[in-house]
Amino acid sequence: MDITSPSVRDLGRRLLTAGPSTIVVATALLFLVSPLVASGSLGSAPLLSMLPFAAVLAIAAAGQTLVVQQRGLDLSVPGMIALGAVLCTALPQQHGWPLASAVVAGALGPAAAGLVTGVLVTRFGVIPLIATLGLNAVLLGVVFAVADGTPAGAAPALNQFALDRTLGVPNTVLVAVLVVGVVGLVIGRSTSGRRLTAVGVSPRAAEVIGVRVGRYRLLAYASAGACYGVAGVLLAGYTKTPPLFLGDSYLLPTVAAVVLGGTALTGGVASVVASGVAALFLTQLGQLLRAVGWSDSRQLMAQAAVLLLVVLGRVLVPMAVTAWRRRLADRAVALAT
Amino acid sequence: MSTAGTEGGTALTVQQEPTPTRPGTTAAPAGHALELRGIGKRFGAVRALADVDLVVDRGEVHALVGENGAGKSTLMAIASGALAADEGQVVILCDELGHASPDRARELGLAIVRQHPALLPDLTVAENMAVGVGFRAGGVRGAVAWSRDQLAPWGMDIDPRARVRDLPIEQWFVIEIAKALALRPKVLVLDEPTEHLSLDEVRLLFRRLREVVADGTAVVYISHRIPEVKEIADRITVLRDGRTRGVHDAATVSEDQIVELVVGRALETVFPPKGSVVGSVGTREQLVVDGLSGDRFHDVSFTVRAGEVVGLAGVQGNGQAEVLRAVAGLEPSRGTVLVDGRAVRRGSTASARRAGVVHVPADRHEEGVFLSLSVAENTVAATLDQVSTAGVVRTRAVAARAEEQRAALGIKTPSVDAPVSSLSGGNQQKVVMARTVVAGPDVLLAEEPTQGVDAGARVDIYTILRSVADAGAAVVVLSSDGVELEGLCDRVLIVSRGSVVKELTGAEVTEEAIAHAALTATTVRERAEAAAPRRSGRSRLLASDHAPAAVLVGVMVVLGLVVGAQNSSYLSSFNIYNLLFMAAPLVLVGAAQHLVVLTGGIDLSVGPLMGLLVVVGSFWVVDGGNPLVGLLLMALTGLGIGLINGFLVAVLGVDAVVATLAVFMALQGLYLTLREVPDGIVAEGFSTQVMARFGPLPVAILGAALVAVGLEVALRRTRWGVALRATGSRREAAESIGVRTVRVQLGAYVLAGALTCAAAVLLMAQIGIGDGRPGVGYTLSSVTVVVLAGASVFGGRGSFLGVLAAGLLVQQLLSASPFLQLPQAWSYLLPGLVILAAAVLFGRLQHVRKA
Repeated sequence: MDITSPSVRDLGRRLLTAGPSTIVVATALLFLVSPLVASGSLGSAPLLSMLPFAAVLAIAAAGQTLVVQQRGLDLSVPGMIALGAVLCTALPQQHGWPLASAVVAGALGPAAAGLVTGVLVTRFGVIPLIATLGLNAVLLGVVFAVADGTPAGAAPALNQFALDRTLGVPNTVLVAVLVVGVVGLVIGRSTSGRRLTAVGVSPRAAEVIGVRVGRYRLLAYASAGACYGVAGVLLAGYTKTPPLFLGDSYLLPTVAAVVLGGTALTGGVASVVASGVAALFLTQLGQLLRAVGWSDSRQLMAQAAVLLLVVLGRVLVPMAVTAWRRRLADRAVALAT
Repeated sequence: MSTAGTEGGTALTVQQEPTPTRPGTTAAPAGHALELRGIGKRFGAVRALADVDLVVDRGEVHALVGENGAGKSTLMAIASGALAADEGQVVILCDELGHASPDRARELGLAIVRQHPALLPDLTVAENMAVGVGFRAGGVRGAVAWSRDQLAPWGMDIDPRARVRDLPIEQWFVIEIAKALALRPKVLVLDEPTEHLSLDEVRLLFRRLREVVADGTAVVYISHRIPEVKEIADRITVLRDGRTRGVHDAATVSEDQIVELVVGRALETVFPPKGSVVGSVGTREQLVVDGLSGDRFHDVSFTVRAGEVVGLAGVQGNGQAEVLRAVAGLEPSRGTVLVDGRAVRRGSTASARRAGVVHVPADRHEEGVFLSLSVAENTVAATLDQVSTAGVVRTRAVAARAEEQRAALGIKTPSVDAPVSSLSGGNQQKVVMARTVVAGPDVLLAEEPTQGVDAGARVDIYTILRSVADAGAAVVVLSSDGVELEGLCDRVLIVSRGSVVKELTGAEVTEEAIAHAALTATTVRERAEAAAPRRSGRSRLLASDHAPAAVLVGVMVVLGLVVGAQNSSYLSSFNIYNLLFMAAPLVLVGAAQHLVVLTGGIDLSVGPLMGLLVVVGSFWVVDGGNPLVGLLLMALTGLGIGLINGFLVAVLGVDAVVATLAVFMALQGLYLTLREVPDGIVAEGFSTQVMARFGPLPVAILGAALVAVGLEVALRRTRWGVALRATGSRREAAESIGVRTVRVQLGAYVLAGALTCAAAVLLMAQIGIGDGRPGVGYTLSSVTVVVLAGASVFGGRGSFLGVLAAGLLVQQLLSASPFLQLPQAWSYLLPGLVILAAAVLFGRLQHVRKA
């Protein structure tokens, strides 16, 4: 095979540098390798215990993708997920709300919080990093106040829903496919999605062509909040008695999923579906490491290493490619003379 | 084999070619001040320069003329070492500039005044001038008096202690010119120096240039103002589309000849026939602007009829751009704008767009195109509704629309799916024009539509603009190029001091008339009136970097009194000692964060690093252990993590948030691996030593305060401090004047690691056991401290005194809630609310400062 043909070279570059196709290939490879590393790791029991967590992470990563698309980075993911969880558990248990309203509140509460971030960013010019860092602390305080300091249990119906399967597929996965699919379609195909992308690529250029930049940014932050909320509700339902601050371990994985999915941190073109696939990749990787006996603390380091390797690859591969091309060109010149 | 023959042939000619020129160069080596030979430069797919030669003699003013985008500035960036050429060599006074280095070029005697002054907006005038000349006039201390001397001849009364950001644009140029002259250069390059200057200032500049030329300095003068070039230059080199098109004696060519050389063909073939000549201008008043006022202009009124092209001209910075942008809805304004008789709501691009106004901005990369989107997506970006059904975009319709425009406007791109960033400047601008044509504008506002566009595309763009007018639109063109206005416009309005001062119509629309009207109108401009009014005492105080510290101290006193009144034990010496001791690590870690933020970075890993260091220390700083080993290991770990962060961010260029977030998680994993549960009781003797008192005060807070004051002095008084702020203020400008930004930022991260280590020692004594978890919260606290201290989170400005005050206040807030009997949730709510309030408040304050 001629490895210098443009199509092959192009594919190689796409796989190495960025693009949603990379993570799909990587995830497929991971699942292929899994049985070799830990036999039986693709059995139905380990898969069924892994998939709900992948689903929760995929939904949260969809939210993070929306924020990164607007050139932000959302550090309030822990507070948001915790808020979604506490609203759907503590409201029925301690404040007597019907479950359905509490679940809706679990999604809308974080959406409202996202709106607050959006207002801080667009109206008051606070940079997203600081806005979300501060809001995270505020949200944890709210969670503490709502729960009155003690974790509440999820209602049996919610717990049952999160554990149940429809046609053999866990409900959590169905919800994730639905959320990620809808958000992905809206971003990729609708006029609003195109405008969101345009605002992410260049807010000033979007303003020039008459896009209401502020409104679209608010929409992005509020939708992100709703995603975290849904993730929190599902996680609360699945874990039955969620600890108060159950979102803490989701911050880095959402960022890692976005980066792995090929969305640039400089904003703009984003693939929500790729982030979702990356969530599956990360969760399966964690499962695999656990299977070979890694502790949670070593897993933290592994996650950090994966994230660093990917961002470093993004930086170093283009550098290496440029250097390699130059060397080739130099050699061509040397041969010619 | 046959190819080898031809290759040998070309090699032969290459070797032979230089021979005739050699004797000339060697015969009079003393004559050439600057020699550029065979310079070639590419930007991606675009060839910016090809085989360019430029030879400048000593004691000569050599003009470099060419259209926007001809490659003049690129060539000078290469000559000054700011940019590396792909081919060719740069020789300054017989020494070759081996590699691209601004420092080396400066050492060889070259000084440059850039089109966009390389000034650092957050630094003072004196600091800028001192860095700009590589501290040749002494250190930071003497810079104020020295700068005042250098600026005195310009008579503009520029305060050397003023922050550059607060100065009007013409003073930026004067500072940039004074900085270059202060280097006593052998070669002085001026890139469009007079763009923002009045006639008087231009005269002053020319007088100074004649003086330095008489001393033997060579001057390269870039300008598109042909009369100025004729007046000052001895010889003229013409550059067109990245190639040299001849060298001429200034005395032997007329202004018209220069223009034709620049444009490259007879003017009549460049511009489409004017509507006012052909008779295609309608009678309907399509755009009516009546009594429009804004920040930089007042009471502007004009009308444009359907089919008419009207030019806006004037010395740059007189408000003409703001008028255009106000009509487009980008700037707030008062007054009336009617499109086709209907009023348009002001200050909203969406309203303007709905009324049929389309704007082509000057800054193509920032405002014109969506660089990472494809040609097709750019083409339909403003008209998505035309290619969608029920809110869903039809991909095929998008491609069809784009193909149609690509063919009609001759956009050169491999495919409509290629990203716009891969196209040349001219073709990018054609994509913007395609987007405009698709939108079917009633009013088209074009700001510098041919800036950075090659000659071929330029002709096409003129044709498009005229055809939009012929289709019934009112077209307004803002341009700094008089030739362009002359060729394109039916009428030209001259703007000065934010008002329309003159209107040229019909045969009056000539380059000379436009230039003359613009310059004479500007001469009468009272600089004092145009300049920002002197700051009052109060706003001056607010603008200072130390203002937040003063505010914080005020808040602290009030808070202390309020809480003290609620609960008398709050003001007990025990509590005050505790508060001050716990504030010390906050001040130190805040200072660490502040160092990094000053350079434009951030370090989210400081919290877990403190945790890790406590855990590391807890293995040795115990009864029976060797505390010195422990402290040494803590210090090494702190420095090492700082080095890793710095390497990732400063050297490799990884996003600071992501890099330090990953390190955050890795460090958490590390300390949990070392100690899953708290263990290792810290030696009593060690804790007592760390918690020692000096009178009623903890020694720790005195030490932290000393560190803060020391850093503050270093920040203001040392070259290191200036370099630190320069790096954060405007990185590329700092680099181009020779600040080693990578090294500075790397150093900041390492020093931050050291300060974090000091904070960790205090934390270890305070909690008394090897546990990493209490450290994590310090990330949020450190950022809170920095924001409260009023530092710009974009880098470049801030005060360590502010950090000291903020550290004390944050600790006071954190420890106040138990005394106020607030519920436990407040221990989370309070820090979050404080940081958000501070960010909003100081964000506001910074807006006040800028205005």
